[in-house]
Amino acid sequence: MKLNDAEYQFSITATPDLDDDTSDIHFVPAPCQVACPIGTDAPSYIAYIWEGNNEQALEAITATNPFSAICGRVCDAPCEPACRRADSDGAIAIRNLKRYVLEALGPGYALPPVEVTQDQTVAIVGAGPAGLTAAHDIAEAGYEVHVYEATGKLGGMMYWGIPRFRLPESAVQQDIDRMMAHCPGIKVHLNSALGEQVTLDELKQKHDAVLLSIGAFVGKPMGIPGEKAPFVEDGVSFLYRVNDGERPTLPETVLVIGGGDVAMDACRVAKRLPGVKNVKVVYRRDYDAMPARREELHGAMEEGIEVIYNTQPVEVIDGKALRCVRTELGEPDEDGRRRPINVEGTEHDIDCGLVIAAVGQKAENAELDGRGMMDWDRVRTELEGMKTTEAKVFAAGDGAFGGSTIVEAMYQGHRAAYYIKAYLEGNDSPLSYRTPYRTRRVSICNDPAWELNPRVEQQFHGLGQVPVEFPEIESTYTADEAKFEAARCFRCDAETGSADYTVSSRESIFAMSRITPKDVELEVSILQGRLKNRDNPFGEEHVPTLDDLVFLPANLSRLVIDPYREDCKTATDLGAIQSIRLDIPFVVTGLDSAPEEIRAAYAKAITQHGAAYIGAAPIGGGAKWIQIVDRDADAAADAVVFRAQRALEEGKVERAREAQPVGLMVDNHNLTQALPFALLQEVDFLLLDAGDGLPGIGAELTGAPDISILNHAISQLRGMNREEDIDLVYFGGLRTGTDSAKLLALGANAVVIGAAASIALGADISGGEPVFSADLERDEREERSFNLLQAFNAEAAMMARCTGKTNVHNLEPEDLRAVTLTASHAVGVPMAGSLNRH
Amino acid sequence: MVTIDLSHTGITEANEQIRAYGADRVDVEIVNPDARHNIGVGLVEPITVRVKGSAGYFCGGLSDGAHFEIEHNAGWAVGDNIYQGSVVVGGNAGAIPGVAIRGAEIVVRGNMGSRAGQVMKAGTLCCGGNAAFMAGYMMYGGRIIILGDAAAKVGQDMSAGEIFVGGKIESLGNDTMIVDMEPQERDQIMEFLERYKLSYSGDFTKIVNAGKKLRYANAEPRTRPQPFFVSSKSSHYWNPKVQEDIWIKGEVGRYRIRGYGASKPVPHLNDIAFTRDISSVAPNPKELGDINLKTTVGGRFGAKPLSLSMPVMIAPMSFGALSRKVKIALARASRLSGISENTGEGGMLDEQRAEADQLIFQCLSGRLGWNVKDMQRADAIEIYISQGAKPGLGGQLMAKKVTPELAAIRGIPVGIDLRSPSRHPDVLGADDLVIKLQEFREATFHKVPIGIKMGAGRVNDDIKIAYKDGFDFVELDGLQGSTGAASTEVLENVGIPTLSAVQEAIDGLHEIDAGDDMDLVMMGGIKDGVDVVKMLALGADCTSVGTAAIIAGGCIACMQCHVGTCPVGIATQDPEHEARYDLDRQAMNMHRYFESLRWQIAAITKALGYDDVHKVNRGDMVALTPEAADITGLPHAPEHKQTRRPLTGLELLDRKAG
Repeated sequence: MKLNDAEYQFSITATPDLDDDTSDIHFVPAPCQVACPIGTDAPSYIAYIWEGNNEQALEAITATNPFSAICGRVCDAPCEPACRRADSDGAIAIRNLKRYVLEALGPGYALPPVEVTQDQTVAIVGAGPAGLTAAHDIAEAGYEVHVYEATGKLGGMMYWGIPRFRLPESAVQQDIDRMMAHCPGIKVHLNSALGEQVTLDELKQKHDAVLLSIGAFVGKPMGIPGEKAPFVEDGVSFLYRVNDGERPTLPETVLVIGGGDVAMDACRVAKRLPGVKNVKVVYRRDYDAMPARREELHGAMEEGIEVIYNTQPVEVIDGKALRCVRTELGEPDEDGRRRPINVEGTEHDIDCGLVIAAVGQKAENAELDGRGMMDWDRVRTELEGMKTTEAKVFAAGDGAFGGSTIVEAMYQGHRAAYYIKAYLEGNDSPLSYRTPYRTRRVSICNDPAWELNPRVEQQFHGLGQVPVEFPEIESTYTADEAKFEAARCFRCDAETGSADYTVSSRESIFAMSRITPKDVELEVSILQGRLKNRDNPFGEEHVPTLDDLVFLPANLSRLVIDPYREDCKTATDLGAIQSIRLDIPFVVTGLDSAPEEIRAAYAKAITQHGAAYIGAAPIGGGAKWIQIVDRDADAAADAVVFRAQRALEEGKVERAREAQPVGLMVDNHNLTQALPFALLQEVDFLLLDAGDGLPGIGAELTGAPDISILNHAISQLRGMNREEDIDLVYFGGLRTGTDSAKLLALGANAVVIGAAASIALGADISGGEPVFSADLERDEREERSFNLLQAFNAEAAMMARCTGKTNVHNLEPEDLRAVTLTASHAVGVPMAGSLNRH
Repeated sequence: MVTIDLSHTGITEANEQIRAYGADRVDVEIVNPDARHNIGVGLVEPITVRVKGSAGYFCGGLSDGAHFEIEHNAGWAVGDNIYQGSVVVGGNAGAIPGVAIRGAEIVVRGNMGSRAGQVMKAGTLCCGGNAAFMAGYMMYGGRIIILGDAAAKVGQDMSAGEIFVGGKIESLGNDTMIVDMEPQERDQIMEFLERYKLSYSGDFTKIVNAGKKLRYANAEPRTRPQPFFVSSKSSHYWNPKVQEDIWIKGEVGRYRIRGYGASKPVPHLNDIAFTRDISSVAPNPKELGDINLKTTVGGRFGAKPLSLSMPVMIAPMSFGALSRKVKIALARASRLSGISENTGEGGMLDEQRAEADQLIFQCLSGRLGWNVKDMQRADAIEIYISQGAKPGLGGQLMAKKVTPELAAIRGIPVGIDLRSPSRHPDVLGADDLVIKLQEFREATFHKVPIGIKMGAGRVNDDIKIAYKDGFDFVELDGLQGSTGAASTEVLENVGIPTLSAVQEAIDGLHEIDAGDDMDLVMMGGIKDGVDVVKMLALGADCTSVGTAAIIAGGCIACMQCHVGTCPVGIATQDPEHEARYDLDRQAMNMHRYFESLRWQIAAITKALGYDDVHKVNRGDMVALTPEAADITGLPHAPEHKQTRRPLTGLELLDRKAG
């Protein structure tokens, strides 16, 4: 049985203390992660694989999955059908990517041991995926856990039920070894069957809680006449003895009855055994209804196994054949699948030498039965608290809820551990368990082929050279293949960068498109979600930046021009009285102490573009230079700039030569005082230092500039009616040509590019100061510096043209609107939308 | 031959008569034309129309198969967009003769005005005299023959086609060159001239596109946008996204391009809340049956309005930006949900027309895929001035998407980086637009609503012009409106937010006492029924949904629409990629999305206490942020914020699916 609907219900508000990211509004688990019962963070591990960071991938894989090596091979991978890419050119091979990582690093991967810190102990009966997962979680919480296992091996069905050609013993061992090393508090008691070597009373007495994870090891009978050994064997026993090392010689033709995973494993085992020529699977429904994972079915078919659909056994003819009838599918029954109906007059015999019945398993335990704890073929267990009918006894796994996949059993193990820990802590009514979802927030891959790559299939070997030796049927990826496949991930977990179409809103739209409006309950839930308001993105701590301003495009009230084609003038005369002529309104800075190679590249680009450099020293190469004067003005400079503080103290600014344009560098602290002084001294331009620190750019890199300085300067000039008498050059935080266009619109005559110039040449700014490395060639550096100025200039021109202007200097404050009140205040531009009401 | 006297027949009546005679294959003579505009517009019958005098704007425009002979002069845009057929002008022609023709023969015996043959696709434009500046401006194909002199910038920004000039050439346009003529080309020209009885014996200079600007020089490296949590969330100023942009501009030397709309947060509908707590609303569909959602759009002047089952349209998106399959799926979803589909820029597909019950045909500046026959089978027409994603700019379609099929429907060369013109050749200002609007009305017999699509800028002014120009409806697109390709700088920085746009529009119309006869359709970031109801309460008449419909139909929002290799087969013209799109299933998904939208709109309307969605109003809402309050004038009441963390869509589905 699969877990029912109720099992998957999430109670979001009731689980505040779970370790996951679901409270983060920017995170919505991807469909693959939600499809995984244990919430494996598949997008993150896939992204790490693409990055080549296998260690991190391994961490992400193993975080919720103690049986990662096993799952890399044989998980039924519900993530893959859920993958959004399954709808187009095939799901990401999430399972095989996991196997790739585990094969690369798994055997050597150890987790630090967790010591026992608690007095209480827990008994776990049965060492399958549910029991061991619970043991792992409980031991991780510091409890001593005693695992009582009926057989001589750990792993349950993972060891006994899955043939070695799909899951080699080494993979099982790898996971178990890792778990045991990580959880020294787990004490293992092999060959200790409940009711034989140990009793429940004994366990209850010795331990503070008991978990029954006894599994479902007994094959169900087909319920037809003639069903007796040795002509009929049940699938589970068959797999058990083969996994125990037997390689029995079987008759030439073997029939396997059933359509589940056990049937698939049984038929493929039979095919490999000596004496067998034909293996046929008999299944009472059709291909589509077959519960086996498609990969297993296709693998079996590729190995030459015949599948007979729509056929129902009705009688065993001992030693000779299986009598069957044809079926057709009728109305759906309670589990939603269409019920097979026998067609009269279609009786026929299928000759065979052995029938393997794989029509389901059940749990059996005489002791539990004797205590009235069994409900027909499973331990009576309530889902919510995983409790049985006896105090302090819990149950999980196939023995409690019927046949499930490994990953579902692991989910039950996590779930049981959660309730047992709560019980041990004395918490009688814990919050409902819910699978936690975590994301490791890995950047999306930027492989240009990500959308082109087809799914990489694993290499399939089938029976192999010597089938009876059970060689592995398929191999995993090479590193290149893994990267190629990992690149395909859509990264449904990751935001793409749009405030409107967040992952969360996209998932809501997706939900809206997958339901029927008749489903009122679901509609209501979605609507409630959509009614939720976001946090104010411009709250109290919002610092206004140029991003808060938008341009008004030309439309009807202003003539549209053709921004792709029409020219836009950018020539700039900098200086109100004396001026220097620039071809573009850009001045570069921040390279005074940059390596010579960088300076040379920009010297050339600045010259080519007819821009200028501003700094304490010239950048060379014939580039125009605006000197920031620390000692004396240099006659060689095309213009000079004095720091306001010094000039105010000295009461003068001195050119080095006649007609040399002169500027005054001011900041928000000294602007008020410096501006009248500048006008008095007939200074040609003010250099507004909003980046706090020319000619360096370290200060610029510390954060957003104070863009209000431009407004302050203009307001002050306007108050004196002297706007035309001095030019304004702005420095600080220029990231794009658009930024510069906004500054020009606000009243700047030219703008200074600082940090951006260095970043374009690959400077690492993480340390606060740009650090260059030698990974670019000379011509690349020259091209890049040329391109940056070209792009910035073109962007500025494009903004002007969008507003209907053919000269960047015709941009004006009226071309701008603010989208935040803070920005509206800071730069004196009205809010978009409310102009006429104020 | 019959005679129609324009001295006592109105142009609409005259055109009706011309069509009726055309149906009977009777030629028509127009007397006393007195330079009337729009003579013979919309004629699709193969008759001859003789204009005994001079014609005004658009003579013979939007026709197919007819022959026009104008005795004297012709005004602006003679022969506009003609498919087959001809126009012969005995005297001079004004500006843009032969604009956007797709096969016609236009002969001007005298001189012709500027921008002759602008955005023409095929056919011949011939001038016996001199041509004013920019002959062949942005032409995509066909042939221009100028027997006299050509003024400045001949062939400016032409993509293809040939220009033959007999006289002097003042200067060549951008990206053009002079090449030698093929011998047979001269023979073909002489044959043409003979047919129209033009004598010429001199030489020609042949001008063609030089091919230097058809493609962007450096390809932008293919990157997926930085995820939100890497960039904006840690909002440090020089974040990795900013650094990446600068680095890539250093590589390519120009702005970056991507799909989708503005990504930065701006004040939006989510900053507004309903005053009533409607979170516990849970009506079943039967109770909602009485709520009126029906919406008509475009009935202002008596044309047959669009009749929508709810105040929602599908936003204009082109075949080109989107694959054929997606356009068909959208059309089907629109029919199933009783709303309208819109062609966008790229022309009308037959399958799209067949699937959609109500289809809006959009006219853009490049007149790509624009033609009279599709106009006449459209349910509404929309003149595109600009869009929210890139107002002030024309469409962009990168070369990968300009396939032979797509180029054929648009009438352009294969494999160019198509940058559509930003401005209509025949609409330089609001007054031209009035006549253009009349031309469209004539071509569609005054039966089809005609709207205007604008990106939001100076909305307060622009909406008044749209009203006074006489549009039936306005589709107004805010900053958040999406696109298949645009400069990221323009996406983020040009235009005002949708919330500001609707407010300015309402205020503007109120200021001129416009009443409510011109329908206002708002778009740009409308995602769900909550947004729709809020938009209507603010004063819009209808909304338009683009991106959300595409997401419902399988888009994963990687924003790389412009690249042309869409992994889910939506924004692509590559057959291998398009094959990934399951048309039938995704059409149903989009239909379900619209039905869910309908349920939400009805449920909210009911919860607010109304029986008609058009009764919701500003009194039902408050602003939660100072910005939203300032923009809308709604009371600032942050205490109405709904904060409970909702289930995510996946969680909801999973609850259901189990």
